[in-house]
Amino acid sequence: MPLPSPFHERTASLCESLKFKSWAGYFAVCSYESHPDPEYFAFRNSAGLLDITPLFKYELSGEDSAAFVSYMATRDVSALKIGRVTYSCFCDQRGKVIDDGTISRLDEQRFRVTTGSPAYAWFLQNSRGFQVEVEDVSESIAALAIQGPNSRRILAELVGPGIEDLRFFGLVAARIAGVEVEITRTGYTGDLGFEVWIPRDGALSVWDAVMAAGKAHGIMPVGLDALDIVRIEAGFLLQDVDYFSAPRCIIESRKSTPYEIGLGWTVALDRSPFIGQKALREEKQRGSDWGFVGLEISWEGIEEIYTEYGLPPSLPTQACRMAVPVYSTGRQVGQVTSSTWSPILKKYLALATVEAKQVEIGNQLRVEHTVEYERMRVLATVVERPFYDPERKRT
Amino acid sequence: MSYDLIIIGAGHNGLTAAAAQAARRRKVLVLEARAEPGGLAAGLEFHPGFRTSGVLHDSSGLRSSVITSLGLESHGLRRRPISTSVFAPQAEGPGLLLHGEPSRAAEEIAVHSTVDAERYGRFCEFQKKIGPYLRNLLNTAPPDISPRGFGQFWDLFRRGMGLRRLGREDMFECLRIGPLSVSDWLGEWFESDLLKANLAAPALLGTWAGPRSAGTAALLLMHQSVAENEVIGGPAALVRALNAACEARGVELRCGARVARILVDASKVKGVELADGQVIDSTRVASAVDPRQTFLDLIDPRELPLGLAEPISNWRCRGTTAKIHLALDGPLEFSSRPGQSFDAVRIGEDLTGIERAFDAVKYRRLPEAPHLDIRVPSLLDPGLAPDGMQVVSIQVHFVPYDLDGGWTDDRRADLIESSLAQLSKVAPSCRDRIVGHQLLTPVDLERDFGTSGGHIHHGEQALDQLLSLRPQARCARYATPISGLYLCGSGSHPGGGISSAPGMLAAQAIR
Repeated sequence: MPLPSPFHERTASLCESLKFKSWAGYFAVCSYESHPDPEYFAFRNSAGLLDITPLFKYELSGEDSAAFVSYMATRDVSALKIGRVTYSCFCDQRGKVIDDGTISRLDEQRFRVTTGSPAYAWFLQNSRGFQVEVEDVSESIAALAIQGPNSRRILAELVGPGIEDLRFFGLVAARIAGVEVEITRTGYTGDLGFEVWIPRDGALSVWDAVMAAGKAHGIMPVGLDALDIVRIEAGFLLQDVDYFSAPRCIIESRKSTPYEIGLGWTVALDRSPFIGQKALREEKQRGSDWGFVGLEISWEGIEEIYTEYGLPPSLPTQACRMAVPVYSTGRQVGQVTSSTWSPILKKYLALATVEAKQVEIGNQLRVEHTVEYERMRVLATVVERPFYDPERKRT
Repeated sequence: MSYDLIIIGAGHNGLTAAAAQAARRRKVLVLEARAEPGGLAAGLEFHPGFRTSGVLHDSSGLRSSVITSLGLESHGLRRRPISTSVFAPQAEGPGLLLHGEPSRAAEEIAVHSTVDAERYGRFCEFQKKIGPYLRNLLNTAPPDISPRGFGQFWDLFRRGMGLRRLGREDMFECLRIGPLSVSDWLGEWFESDLLKANLAAPALLGTWAGPRSAGTAALLLMHQSVAENEVIGGPAALVRALNAACEARGVELRCGARVARILVDASKVKGVELADGQVIDSTRVASAVDPRQTFLDLIDPRELPLGLAEPISNWRCRGTTAKIHLALDGPLEFSSRPGQSFDAVRIGEDLTGIERAFDAVKYRRLPEAPHLDIRVPSLLDPGLAPDGMQVVSIQVHFVPYDLDGGWTDDRRADLIESSLAQLSKVAPSCRDRIVGHQLLTPVDLERDFGTSGGHIHHGEQALDQLLSLRPQARCARYATPISGLYLCGSGSHPGGGISSAPGMLAAQAIR
């Protein structure tokens, strides 16, 4: 059975739908009400508050911590400034992605890394020879995501107007309700937003303070269902859905390299050695087999296939994580791994892995869609990711 | 400055590899951190006027093939005409002189047990019979069992068939004995405790194993199969000859040059960086230092092939041997054989006593009655001590590296006292003749000679750390996953002791 997170007392009492699922062994709210729409709109129009404690968190400290993190990650963090955060992949020696997450530089010799699955053993086992201490702080640090256009105003009320100066992917130490926290301007919504890293004991005080300050700004507690929609709009991939962590794959073809899942930009090849460097360098030269794309599925196409059956068009009312085949001229060339109706864009969006030669923007593909038990194919066009990218995210 | 090959460590294996490679017209540089070459094989002055013949004092494992191929005789190396006789004294009783010649040994054994005397001949014959098979195994590079080395399957098969050629009975006997403890195996042959203790000792030198530990019978067989006549002047004389051979072939030796890093780029060796910051280029580097230091201390962890650090850090090298050197102003005399001198002596009257000594090491304690392996090198090489005086070289087993409570002066004194007490039981006059002494605990050996854990063999000789697993399947054949980096020390097959075999086999593997 999942464990309660440090915010469980609050999240559980607010969760009218009683819809929970297990996220990394913690109870996580799917949606507080019967449908995630209001929460989705809080993210996009006011502010949403999400318990992200279940992320795995590690602190790496010591003389060689920068060298060690750079060795483990596809990013070179040696030049990352104190108070900055970066996003990176972590690969195995064949360049296959094990995890993806953020790396914060807390100090000259102290980093905090977040990952989607447990990484303690992987870090520890590769730390031999480095002057570095690896600490699993997953349980000792609670975390909240405050995301949405009003998130900055809410935090400004709590920590002062200084928060206005916190740049995208910046980190600052602050005090909320008497609790020493760190605030990073990061998130998984593709919107203006922040994540707050809180000592476990202070979790409820911070939650209460944020909810109280947010009340006037339309804050809502948000569950994972709404998050799933916004993260697809933002074009972010999800581990175990859009790609699979290499050590847990039984067959080789399930594994992906950063280039294959659209994260090639996190790979800094020409630098000190890092795990997977050789394989990634070869792939860079050779070219990847697969590419990761955003697809816009034609609404006219959807209407057409439903009309054939005399039915009104109908889509899942929530983000869908079921993989479906993608075709080009009758041949399967990949698969959609996540899809959702975007309420704000009024578009049917999908994230897909397709053959490398199919990744061109504007390329027309076909996506399987089942109507009345019959598998149909609908036109889908390769478009730029993120699908939704408001100016305020960065400014 | 650039060299065809840099060898790290001028121990006897490093020098062997250097001489052998230089013979192939390669420009070889040997870097030694200590002030003199030789490492654990070098003689050292431990008291004014008294020198040892090496911290390791047994040179019976030196391979004849190395002497021949490096022409060491032309550089002054001489072997004894007969194999060493080892004396096992008793506090009460005549003791046992285990003569190198089996028939003469049998006469001595008969004093203790006529049955054993009769069996001893057959015991030696059995060893002689399987000797060629083991020698073949120990004098060639081990089969490649790494994941990429499946092409070597034939080699593995061929070696398996070699065992088959011993005949069905002996083959199965070998397979049966291998995992046995030396105590069980010798128990099948003999009844005399003194004889069994004396015979078992070579299997236990430097190992983290007592006579009742599994696999020690195999260690004994291996040790015995390669034993030949010792070098006159001991390991130190071997080092002198190797040094001369290196010089003659133009090898450059730099002492006092500690290597801080092996430089690697994109999985290829580029050279070394010395502790003083000097960089020396070479596309080949052979390390005669132990595998743990080679991989974990000398190489940037980021350049290490993934997955190698873990098995190497699991490499067991818990030193169990201390060394005591005594300067005597008279002969080392034993009450059981007054007036006689012995240059090789083992003190341990029964296997139970030796097992008890080993028990202590398991619990990080000092043994109450340590097992002593003694040489008196000055008997054959009088130059080691002033006239009429003697050097006594004692390997003390079993002494823990990580002694509970640490190595304080008191504990050092305790170890010397317990060792001398053991010696005095059989050589009561010894104590009064001591004019100087030196103790090297495993911690001292680590500090002075740079062997991890103070292990005299660069790693324990256990069944899982021998042959194709020494020090790891991926680098058991001297080449490593880092192109141009080789291992040539005792941490490689066939292991520790004075043999020159790892150095020679590595030299053959260096491309």
